[in-house]
Amino acid sequence: MKRIAIPRRRFLRGFFQGSAVFVGLPLFDYLLDGNGAALACGGAIPRRFGLFFWGNGNRPDQWTPASDGADYALTEELAPLVNVKSKICVVSGLAVKVDNVVPHLSGAAGLLSGYDLVSSDGNDTMGAATIDQIIAAEIGADTLYASIQTAATNCSGMSYNGPNSRNPPETDPYTLYEKLFGPTFREPGEEGVVDPTLGLRRSVLDSVMGDIATLQSKLGAADKARLDQHLTGVRELEERLAKLEEDPPSLESCARPDSEPEASYPDEDGRPQISARSRAMVDMLAMAMACDQTRVFGHYLTDPVSNPLFPGASAGHHNLTHDEPGEQPEVHAITVQIMEEFAYLLEKFDSIPEADGTLLDNCAILGTTEVSLGQTHDITEIPVVIGGSACGTIQTGLHYRSYTADNASKLMLTLMRSMDILATGFGDPASEAYSEDSLTEIEA
Amino acid sequence: MTPVAVPYSAVPLALLLLACDPAPDRAAPEAVRGEAPAFTAQPPVLRRLTYAQYQSTVAALFGEGLVIPAELEPDTRVSGLYAVGASVTSISSLGVERYEADAFDIAEQVLADESRRSALVPCTPASTIDSDCARAVLADLGPRAWRRPLESDELDRLVGIADTAAATLDDFDQGLAYALAALLQSPHFLFRPEPGEDDPERPGERRYTAYEMASRLSYFLWNTMPDAELFAAAADGSLLTTEGLAAQVDRLLADERAREGMAAFITDTWMLSDLDDLTKDPAIYTYMSDGLGASARQQTLLDAEAIVFDDDGDFRSILTTRATHLDRTLAALYDVPAPAREGFGATTLPESGGRRGLLGQVSFLALQSHATSTSVTRRGIFVREVLLCQALPSPPAGLNTSIPETTEETPTMRDRVAQHLEDPSCAACHNYMDPIGLGFENFDGIGRWRTTENEVEIDASGDLDGVDFDDAWALSAAIADHSAFAPCVNKTLYAYAQGRVGGEGEDDIVDWHAEGFAVEDYRLKFLLRDIATGQAFRTAGVAE
Repeated sequence: MKRIAIPRRRFLRGFFQGSAVFVGLPLFDYLLDGNGAALACGGAIPRRFGLFFWGNGNRPDQWTPASDGADYALTEELAPLVNVKSKICVVSGLAVKVDNVVPHLSGAAGLLSGYDLVSSDGNDTMGAATIDQIIAAEIGADTLYASIQTAATNCSGMSYNGPNSRNPPETDPYTLYEKLFGPTFREPGEEGVVDPTLGLRRSVLDSVMGDIATLQSKLGAADKARLDQHLTGVRELEERLAKLEEDPPSLESCARPDSEPEASYPDEDGRPQISARSRAMVDMLAMAMACDQTRVFGHYLTDPVSNPLFPGASAGHHNLTHDEPGEQPEVHAITVQIMEEFAYLLEKFDSIPEADGTLLDNCAILGTTEVSLGQTHDITEIPVVIGGSACGTIQTGLHYRSYTADNASKLMLTLMRSMDILATGFGDPASEAYSEDSLTEIEA
Repeated sequence: MTPVAVPYSAVPLALLLLACDPAPDRAAPEAVRGEAPAFTAQPPVLRRLTYAQYQSTVAALFGEGLVIPAELEPDTRVSGLYAVGASVTSISSLGVERYEADAFDIAEQVLADESRRSALVPCTPASTIDSDCARAVLADLGPRAWRRPLESDELDRLVGIADTAAATLDDFDQGLAYALAALLQSPHFLFRPEPGEDDPERPGERRYTAYEMASRLSYFLWNTMPDAELFAAAADGSLLTTEGLAAQVDRLLADERAREGMAAFITDTWMLSDLDDLTKDPAIYTYMSDGLGASARQQTLLDAEAIVFDDDGDFRSILTTRATHLDRTLAALYDVPAPAREGFGATTLPESGGRRGLLGQVSFLALQSHATSTSVTRRGIFVREVLLCQALPSPPAGLNTSIPETTEETPTMRDRVAQHLEDPSCAACHNYMDPIGLGFENFDGIGRWRTTENEVEIDASGDLDGVDFDDAWALSAAIADHSAFAPCVNKTLYAYAQGRVGGEGEDDIVDWHAEGFAVEDYRLKFLLRDIATGQAFRTAGVAE
């Protein structure tokens, strides 16, 4: 669909008359303990989780470092991450333990939810909530957004709250800007106005919630559940509007971005502007995290099975993974480009100071994809890079290799625990993908 | 659930025929196919308005020309149709946010435009808060937006929202905007609930209510909300009678909006909205341009409209006709004279060319190809799955799917595919699709005609389920004549109408509609009418 650029919420912006003024908290209160000393991890500074996802896998033979442990050398495909090498953990050899029935999508479902893909009538959906939403449900309640999903191409994304309950990503940088830094945004300490429309909008949402309940009483179980998701979304929006009436948290690096992004990133010579669009999104995501608007994000460079023409490539990415013969130099070059975008994200997060470290230090950002060797849809050897140590809970500067095809769900449990979430297991208890053990080898 | 068997004797179809308009030299379809068979009524579905329906419904409520933001909750295809996906999708947190912003956006546009506003607000507010005036607006708009009469407490609540907002903002119109936003964000607007009611004429069975039928008909046949006359037929109950239903279906089909409705069906079933994202490498395909996808869709829709509405002809000819509509972009790509200087004009493709029907159009040839090459597999899958309703399994995981390189020994796709199909694990499925795709190899990845690949002549011959063909034109004719094609049109239209695929216990009734389609010379207009007036379209099952 083509976007028609129209200024959003101009209606609401017109409603600010008759409003009161109030003043924000002094800067940095949020970050200081009683003695004025900066608080490190685990105190006032929240931990955050991110997912950096790309589609179509990689070439494990060209990706995986030759040696493991702390003294490993980056391969050509991982080389873009050199500037943050001490802040990442490369994990290789993990296997997704669900039945690989539907190429690409079974892997995505098994990896991110620990459940089998649910497929019927040409409709493929996750069987359960994905890792980002499991984490958001635990750590996302205090922020404006439980999670933010973004995409650099026209992705559907892989974030689900349950079957057919997908969280689609924002694909337009300008829309994301309006959402995060539009009229309702205030920098810490910035004077604000009590916007009378917020309360009115909430009363409208109350009415909508009443309508949902009325309608639910007339429906079957499956449709009731669908409206439960609608209800959750309405309630979240209502809570967000309530939070907008409070002062924003005083985080030291939180600031309005210097400029608005372009309104659109049209294809150039038939090729999507993947890099430019991704970076525009990432800049805003980093600031949204620094401003504590959310503590969970998912950023999709591309979707599983997606077929964009990357710069320099002679065919779409998915095509090349299947059709390119031999060592697949074009697939290799695309993987390098993907890692350059992941590196941009990690370096951006690492450039934002927080207490005595950086934003990245307080995050665990999972970089991964739904298959390993795209050519065969293999789901053993899933490539994983974790950026950030989540406040020192995950080891970095490490290549950990599983020689026993460890269950990828162990990694998910580690990520949950790095967010201080007490969980007994990850995945479908009735399936081989279930794990009650975490990947202790990379935990600090 | 309890299956509800509908005995055919309870279906007074003879009455339908009175209102029908059979060609004089043709027997009534019942003479051939008999009375409608029994079927098992299926649980009702809850459809979310698709993006297109949201747009068309807002236009019907407030007039054409409003700017609807392009980003809403995305539609999902199930069984190949957004119309079926609408019955399983919900609304995400992001969707809630977008629907809220858009509701206020629309409210603002409506109230800022004097002619739209005066159509909506029949009274002059006596003061900032004028409950009576707000009530007058909402008592008219509310039932239209929610496609049913409002309960009195629902209307009271909306008026309350308007009054409170008017008081807070000290402005009647701004208050009204909040009530409009409440209407447009409600699940009663965004979804199409059809729980049904007990059928007093058939104890133990359920039917859709009159208002539910009004929406079922209008979204099926027009892809938008009911108009005043359809609402009136719901209000006076005539829509629940066989004669009243037939009269409304005939009226709807005679209306210009039926063309939009059919275009929505064609767009959905042939995935023409994907043409918005048509990607081609312009270095390889020099005929690629920004507007090509939209032009291609327009060609296909105009051709279908001509067959279905202007000619009321055999729908299968959509695959074989040389009569088409082109603009300059497409005429250049097809290498034929442009019939019009501006926009589209009707024309006939040359008899000598290999280009005929849908499968000679960019809508199929370019869409079912890759960005830098053709795809015999994608083209074959489209024919099997979309045109013939033959399900193909997903490729098994763990196979090496690479196809051989172009070499001197394998200059054409046929050579390369032959090598690929030496692997029996590939051949098992690819033999169903690739040979079909090879039949279209005279068209490159954007749909330009070519006779050679790598300077070797292309062999586009093959056989489709036992019927030999020499080229794309003969293949298209073989598909049009295939025993699965017309039943597939029927099956897809039935799923589109019901918002779900035919369920258990519905095979006979679906086949019965297909028989009628055949008896009536494959006129789609007949089939639209047959399904819309059919008992299965009127009978609700029990919610599970």
